[in-house]
Amino acid sequence: MGKPEVKGTVTSLSSMFPPEEVQKAAKMVEEKLSEKQNEMNQLKEFIADNTSLVNLVQKLPDELHHDIMVPFGKAAFFPGGLIHTNEFLVLLGESYYADRTAKQTVEILKRRGKSLMSKVDALKAEMQDLKAEASFFDSTTSEVAEDLVEIKEYEEDNSTERVFQSGPAELESPTLAEADNKMDSKLGASKDDEYARLMSRLDELEKEELAAEDDGENDEDEDEDANATETDGDENELTEAAFQWKKDEGYSSRDHGQRYSECTGLTAEPVTQGEMSHGRIIHQDSKMLNPSINASVPSEKKPVQTSKSEFDSSKAFTGSIVEHTENLEKKIPGQNTTSSESSGSKPSKPVSRFKMQRK
Amino acid sequence: MSSSSAALRELQRDLENKANDLSKLQKDIAKNHQVRKKYTIQLGENELVLKELDLLNEDANVYKLIGPVLVKQDLAEANANVRKRIEYISAELKRLDSSLQDLEEKQHSKREAILKVQQRIQSHQAGKAKA
Repeated sequence: MGKPEVKGTVTSLSSMFPPEEVQKAAKMVEEKLSEKQNEMNQLKEFIADNTSLVNLVQKLPDELHHDIMVPFGKAAFFPGGLIHTNEFLVLLGESYYADRTAKQTVEILKRRGKSLMSKVDALKAEMQDLKAEASFFDSTTSEVAEDLVEIKEYEEDNSTERVFQSGPAELESPTLAEADNKMDSKLGASKDDEYARLMSRLDELEKEELAAEDDGENDEDEDEDANATETDGDENELTEAAFQWKKDEGYSSRDHGQRYSECTGLTAEPVTQGEMSHGRIIHQDSKMLNPSINASVPSEKKPVQTSKSEFDSSKAFTGSIVEHTENLEKKIPGQNTTSSESSGSKPSKPVSRFKMQRK
Repeated sequence: MSSSSAALRELQRDLENKANDLSKLQKDIAKNHQVRKKYTIQLGENELVLKELDLLNEDANVYKLIGPVLVKQDLAEANANVRKRIEYISAELKRLDSSLQDLEEKQHSKREAILKVQQRIQSHQAGKAKA
């Protein structure tokens, strides 16, 4: 199985993110940021006023009577005094006032201070977000200035995209292969992680199957078959070009999950002649398998081609579904021919291990 | 030729009308937002007041500022008034929400209609250019 043909486009970042628009966006973010800054300043003033008021209210009842200069109009004062120094008419909000003592007033003011602080915290969080946005725009403008190039590659089969940014525009399309290798090196680590993840998933599935053994042979067969296609896919992935496998990573697992559940759903249909448990288990499995199938499903064509030669695997995925059902029908009354085939074809992978257990 | 240019002019007039409608709608939506903001603030304030009133003793004096007059009020009465106001404001907010949704839908459909008219204009102009 050779690599599928890779088409690619090279687009300069300046066409993807035109510099004027980036600047505009950056300006907008800056404006919003300054607005939030103003609000923040206002709130801080409120908090400062509040604390000074608390101090004043606490000091006033120290004396029974204070001598003060009372403001009178805009520009005059007259000597007077503050009496009833423990009685405060506090504004509760919405033009409601209440008579309170100094202590109670201080409590009210403290509660107001707390709500102000929480507003300040919320504002701070918003400002953080805005700053992150602003820094992103700044980096984009610098990248655009450096003439960075965005390279998209398409895999012929399933037209998914892998987009990543490379160095300056000297990387033209002939060096797409180099880009591939770069991707390889970049994602080599992730590939191992994926592999480990897949292994753990397969272990989980194994356990599930063992659990499902009690439900009956037929159910197992269903599971097996479902697992078979998935694991075959995995094996192929691991044995074939890493590049293709990573391509599959880029696929939206949802898409393939759907396809996969279609597959299992269809497989369930002919079988569920009164065996409703089948469908249920399959869907359970499909849910389990969906996350790990992102690698396997797209290349299912290939494993179908290699291991299940009797299938018309060169067509679209739906072709393989049909074969699946046929296979199942054969299986249900009798033997697990497919699984034995598949296990025979990929003996080396731990995936087929649990298939062999069935035998 | 002239018929197509007349049709073109008509389409452009249509486009202008639709654009006016769209701008009106956008103004309405902006107003709606503002009123909503006001009501939301008032609602918050009223809830604060309710909390404070609950903390008051039964015999505490409560006054209400009506214009330049500070009128003494009964605590229970003040409580009831504040609660009613809260209910009223929430109902208003809900009404505003639904009207905002309507306005947004209308705006959306207007935008689509404008797009269609623009496309027709473009096809007309392309046809004129060819001919």
